[in-house]
Amino acid sequence: MIQEPVVPSLLQMEGFSLEHRSVFGPVSILTDVNFSLGYGEVLGVIGESGAGKSTIGNAILGLLAPQFVRVSGTIRLEGAPIDDRTLERDIRGHRIAAIFQDHTASLDPLMPVGKQIRETVLALDPALTVSEAKEVSLQLMTRVGISDAARRYADYPHQFSGGQRQRLVIAIALAGSPDVIIADEPTSALDATVQKQILALLRSLVDESGLSVILVTHDMGVVAEITDRVLVMRKGEVVEQGRTAAILDRPQHVYTQSLLAAVPRLRQTMAARKVRSTSPQWSDGRSETPILSVRNLSRSFATTGPKYWPWGETAVTEKPFALRDVSFDLLRGSVTGIVGESGSGKTTIGRIMAGLEFASQGCVAIDGREFDVTRPGRRSGILGLVQMIFQDPSLSLNPHMTIERILRESIRYGAGDVERPSDCAAMMERLGLPRSLLSRHPHQLSGGQKQRVSIARALLARPRIVVADEPTSALDVSVQAEIVALLKEAIAETDMTMVFISHDLALVQDLCDQIHIFKAGRIEDAGSPHYIFSQSTHPYTRELIAARSSWFTR
Amino acid sequence: MKAIVLRILLQRPGLDRTAGLFRLRLRAGGSQIVLAAFVLVAILAPLISPQNPYDPLQVLGWDASSPPGTVGSGGYAYILGTDGLGRDILSTIFYGLRISLVVSIVSSLAAAMIGLAAGVTAAYFGRWIDAVIMRLVDLQLSLPTILVALIAIVTLGPGVDRIILALIIVQWAVYARMVRGVALSETRKSYMDAAQLLRMPTLRILLRHLLPNSIAPALTLLPIEIGHAIALEATLSFLGLGVPLDKPSLGSAVANGFQYLMTGQYWISLFPGLALLCLVASINFVGDDLRRRLDPRSAAR
Repeated sequence: MIQEPVVPSLLQMEGFSLEHRSVFGPVSILTDVNFSLGYGEVLGVIGESGAGKSTIGNAILGLLAPQFVRVSGTIRLEGAPIDDRTLERDIRGHRIAAIFQDHTASLDPLMPVGKQIRETVLALDPALTVSEAKEVSLQLMTRVGISDAARRYADYPHQFSGGQRQRLVIAIALAGSPDVIIADEPTSALDATVQKQILALLRSLVDESGLSVILVTHDMGVVAEITDRVLVMRKGEVVEQGRTAAILDRPQHVYTQSLLAAVPRLRQTMAARKVRSTSPQWSDGRSETPILSVRNLSRSFATTGPKYWPWGETAVTEKPFALRDVSFDLLRGSVTGIVGESGSGKTTIGRIMAGLEFASQGCVAIDGREFDVTRPGRRSGILGLVQMIFQDPSLSLNPHMTIERILRESIRYGAGDVERPSDCAAMMERLGLPRSLLSRHPHQLSGGQKQRVSIARALLARPRIVVADEPTSALDVSVQAEIVALLKEAIAETDMTMVFISHDLALVQDLCDQIHIFKAGRIEDAGSPHYIFSQSTHPYTRELIAARSSWFTR
Repeated sequence: MKAIVLRILLQRPGLDRTAGLFRLRLRAGGSQIVLAAFVLVAILAPLISPQNPYDPLQVLGWDASSPPGTVGSGGYAYILGTDGLGRDILSTIFYGLRISLVVSIVSSLAAAMIGLAAGVTAAYFGRWIDAVIMRLVDLQLSLPTILVALIAIVTLGPGVDRIILALIIVQWAVYARMVRGVALSETRKSYMDAAQLLRMPTLRILLRHLLPNSIAPALTLLPIEIGHAIALEATLSFLGLGVPLDKPSLGSAVANGFQYLMTGQYWISLFPGLALLCLVASINFVGDDLRRRLDPRSAAR
């Protein structure tokens, strides 16, 4: 158990307000932010996008663009106010270091990682000789958990995995043995299992060396996992702060409560849930013939697809497979979850079913009709039978068309029916969108609204099968819950069959009748949610479940 | 014109963003006025010019190389002086504007359209269609512009229409390459996937979805290329391959004064040059404003 810090605070922000001044006038970014960070403490800063949580970190590090102007307030390090000169010379790197989200961008791809750490060590302590600095670098690499550091010293960033790269970034941050590390979404780009390991590393650094960490994140799971105290931000203001356990158990502010309520929870016992079916076969009147079957589908990265020149050779080099011999059935009216980490082939299988990508081998049958999916979608004829809901709503709507035109296009081309203007309005209403949005352009809508329009477009084409490819990953937590609820409703009302692709087991738990767990292009485990969560002994499934923060597994 | 200035001054969108937008509006409005004035002068040239520089009967040889302000034997003042043949510089500028504007605008618009079509087609279809179009573009861009233009003019023969054709041949590839790059990144966005899933006709996907989203950079390029076209046309004229000598364009008016610069007769080159500068600058600013307005995501809309 972590004790409440009694020592005086290490870093303080007092009455800090910040404005962004552009040609369009000043906009308030932070309003009266007060907090203090104790020695050996992990402070979480949580909020949705645009809440100003990253700005706090950047303000401390002096990394703000010149348009950001401090209106009031001070930042103190051990009681002494930080100014630009001391920040540059004595503080940044030496006392306060940073870790950023994108581990690929944080490392120089053309320089061996060992050298990158050594350079940082030397820059921060010019008194060292090169060989001493190398010694320090090797120690740092070992400290962040790079095994066999001496051998890997001369390796380049691309030779490391995402998790290892983030470890190296942490090693660079540790080079000046700082007192504070500001970690801005350090694990958001990582898969759940790797995320857990990186958080454990951060925690152990804090516990062993008395380091303090400001952890900026949007993920309640991360907050619950390692922070001692938490700062809840909304629109540039701190709405609530306190001990993590207290805030998670008894959130005072309505906003914190809604944030917590929106987190999808994993239940290991399914007793609380009315189990729809224990086997993938239905007992209630639904048809048991599959509406879509995937048979022995493979896809290698080296395309065996269309040739560049008509007379050219087709490229057939053996390369790692994105999909390997995948087969499954979708039952009419069912919801199938496809879960996997990045690179597991989950998106590829969805796009092949929709005809947007081709496979190397295998076929897909819809309603008994077989399609040769090794050919491009338009030629194989499968294109148009399956509609998709895409991950990033800001990319899935044509920015030059109004919402009404987008939806009408879907009615006109999708169903092949006569265009009925009433349909658009009715669908908007069904999805909880005000009618006034019809005349707007996509950029005038919020992320959640855009995703609803995206759903409306898919549904208006009246497909029998819809593939939703991570439809909530690009959205804030509170909006995620709404979108999932909406999809649930839409499925219940129609006899639509749905494939829900996600990296998050908790999200698919309540939605799906059947879950396939993908790893490296293969189906590792499959079954009903009940089976997956309570009975499956498959090690990978157990690992995925364990990767969720324990606080949210109830 | 007063009305336009007033309109610009009174268009204040919300207080908070007034200052910045106002500056943009002022620049755009100012350059619109300048450009409009140039176009107006070009159209009205025969009515407002003191002299028709194309008419040998009106050009008085003994007034050659008069400095600005000289009152000529025709009874009117040469406000900007005369050139080596005795042509009034002001009138030459007025008439030259017509040729320069028509040649550059027509050729740039045509080149932009061809380039847009080629770029979008290459990006959408990919594979060998892309390969053929882009190798053609590479070939075009690997040769010096002036060389391609020279070859074209020599092959096609002289004349204003031939110059336009030569400029189109020179310029289309620039648009094609730029548009292809943008269109390629647009085809990877999921709204294009959504259009595919609806099985829309290919032409509709190209015209309704891909083209409007790939057009912005071409529009940014347009004013710059119009400026280039004016300069290139001037170069060709300088080499004696451009517009006929007796019908000078703005560019060849500059070239006409080239040999007189050494003897201190600055006005022959300077004033047409200044006119050229103002013209190209105003086209650039107007183009910049146009791009801002056409982008639905822009705040200045």
